[in-house]
Amino acid sequence: MFRLKLIIVPTLIISCLSLTSCFKDVDFGQAPDIALEPDLQVDLAYYELNETDFFDSETNLYTPLIRDTLRLEFLDDDYIQDGLMFVEFRFRHENRFPFPVRSNIKFLNENNRREFSIAYTIPEGSTAMPSVVDTLKVMEGNDIRNVRRSIQMVMELDILGGGQELEGSLDFSSKGLFRFEF
Amino acid sequence: MQKILVIVIFLLFGISHSQNRPLLYNVDDLPQALLQNPGTRIDFTRHIGVPFFSQFHVFAGSTGVTAYDVFADNDTDINDRIRRVMNDLSSGDFFSVNQQLEVLSFGWKMGQRGYFSAGIYQELDVFAYFPKDPAVLAFEGNADYIGENFDFSDANFTGEVLTVYHAGFTYKLDPQLSIGGRVKLYSGIFNAESTQNEGVFRTDATPGGSNFYRHTLEGLDVMVRTSGYASLKDEEGMTVDQAVAELLRRSFFGQNFGLGVDLGFNYRLTEQFAINASIQDLGLMFHQKDVENYQYFGSYSTEGIEPLFPELDEDEATIPYWDIFEEELDANLLDETTTSPYNTWRPLKFNASFEIGTGKAILPCDYLISKKPRYMNLFGMLVSGVNRPKGPTYGVTTYWDRKLTNNLRFRVAYGVDEFSLTKIGLMASARLKNFNFYLAANDIIGYTNLARANSASMQFGMQFIFKDL
Repeated sequence: MFRLKLIIVPTLIISCLSLTSCFKDVDFGQAPDIALEPDLQVDLAYYELNETDFFDSETNLYTPLIRDTLRLEFLDDDYIQDGLMFVEFRFRHENRFPFPVRSNIKFLNENNRREFSIAYTIPEGSTAMPSVVDTLKVMEGNDIRNVRRSIQMVMELDILGGGQELEGSLDFSSKGLFRFEF
Repeated sequence: MQKILVIVIFLLFGISHSQNRPLLYNVDDLPQALLQNPGTRIDFTRHIGVPFFSQFHVFAGSTGVTAYDVFADNDTDINDRIRRVMNDLSSGDFFSVNQQLEVLSFGWKMGQRGYFSAGIYQELDVFAYFPKDPAVLAFEGNADYIGENFDFSDANFTGEVLTVYHAGFTYKLDPQLSIGGRVKLYSGIFNAESTQNEGVFRTDATPGGSNFYRHTLEGLDVMVRTSGYASLKDEEGMTVDQAVAELLRRSFFGQNFGLGVDLGFNYRLTEQFAINASIQDLGLMFHQKDVENYQYFGSYSTEGIEPLFPELDEDEATIPYWDIFEEELDANLLDETTTSPYNTWRPLKFNASFEIGTGKAILPCDYLISKKPRYMNLFGMLVSGVNRPKGPTYGVTTYWDRKLTNNLRFRVAYGVDEFSLTKIGLMASARLKNFNFYLAANDIIGYTNLARANSASMQFGMQFIFKDL
């Protein structure tokens, strides 16, 4: 009888522990609440323009208004459409032209309709003392839909004044802080 | 003095390691001890396992994190907990699952000194290091990590399912030394591994540069190799049940093969004191069929896209900057799918132990029987480990093995390893006539609440063991 107990007792201990073992103090129902929330800093466009960019290459006529369009195809990706919650755009201009420059950055949708834009004037500057405009544009809440619908970034520059004697440069850098929730 | 030494060793070096099944190591009346050390001393003359039930072993563990750490039922936010866990974990932390199911097991004494044993078992082994940098990048992004590397070498895992056919021989060279070896034929069912990855992604602030940042992917070389996966993937509409059925079909007739050996010895320095050691699975798998490898490689750096403000007519299309950017990416960051055969080492396991016996058993009084004295109490210390992609994982186990009778024994083990510092194990083995049943569980404290346990393992089995005199 004693020997039987000796067999049964350790076997029972192990069996009971194994069979009654369970997960306590946890709630696996929280799994759907797990969210990836990465904040991504991403460079967008940059340029370094000088006076030659404002003269027609054939006629050499002064062209104070120039523009270019950049398609941002990544804005059409599923992870943007489904998970983008917040964007903080940052645009920085350094103006070394002795004239103010009007900058208009427009975000257009596939139908060329404007979703939102950022416009400002960069005061005149000089090579020794460039004029700097550093702008933030935050898109969140309902505004984020405008970002999701956007696909083109149109950059328009208009030198307010100037002429054939134009000299100087204009530097531009831009980035976005994209916050997602998956 | 000897007893004090034993107690000191027991208390100071109580460390264990679950994957090597320390609770069954050196158990001389269980055939499963031969699977861990083919040179071990045994105390039976024949054995045959109950098919599919002679051994079931399962182990799961993770270093540095428990289910409770993530899913605790309290008022804190689960995502905050995940962030905290990710902060605490390093790329050296790992998750491991190992399972074995013995399909067949048999053996018998050959001559006066030899013992032949053979069988078939199925094994699943998954081992993954925590991919710290890729996980942080996915979970938190790069915004708070400007100027820091995200290292893709952190992505490192192996996984395999295979069937092992084995035959071993244990030979007693003299009363002191026994040696043994086991030959293994591996039949691969499924394999996936990615262990030699390289490359970093970083975002640098570039004051005075063209743009705010420079994003660099440098020296990327990520390779995932698989066998037994492509055919499953190509089967359109295959349900999980069908996939499992296909894997089971392969379990006996796998497409890829390998060879390996186990080697071991046991040496009795004195009547009471013995040392022994073994290596298991010194072997290679040759993956030649149903292979599909995925490689991603290259380097690229960008500061964004530079518009050129070209002179365009009203109806003229703008420069496709994005397409050019994508073409550059595709030219510099390449991906390739190949079917090249590859070889993998099996995870080599190693064990070394010493054992001290006390409390001599009373032997049957029969002049026809020549038996070495047996000890009812065995104190031992086992150092064990498994070779893994970033180096071996170690553990040490100390145990007290008590033979209550010729048919009943139990073992209590205590220790620490990379999973836990409070690992207590229990093993019980009983023989009723020739029928043996054993049950072992390690990390008993963890079993009281698996959510807070870093690891848990269990073995049980039943078989017929004969001790013909």
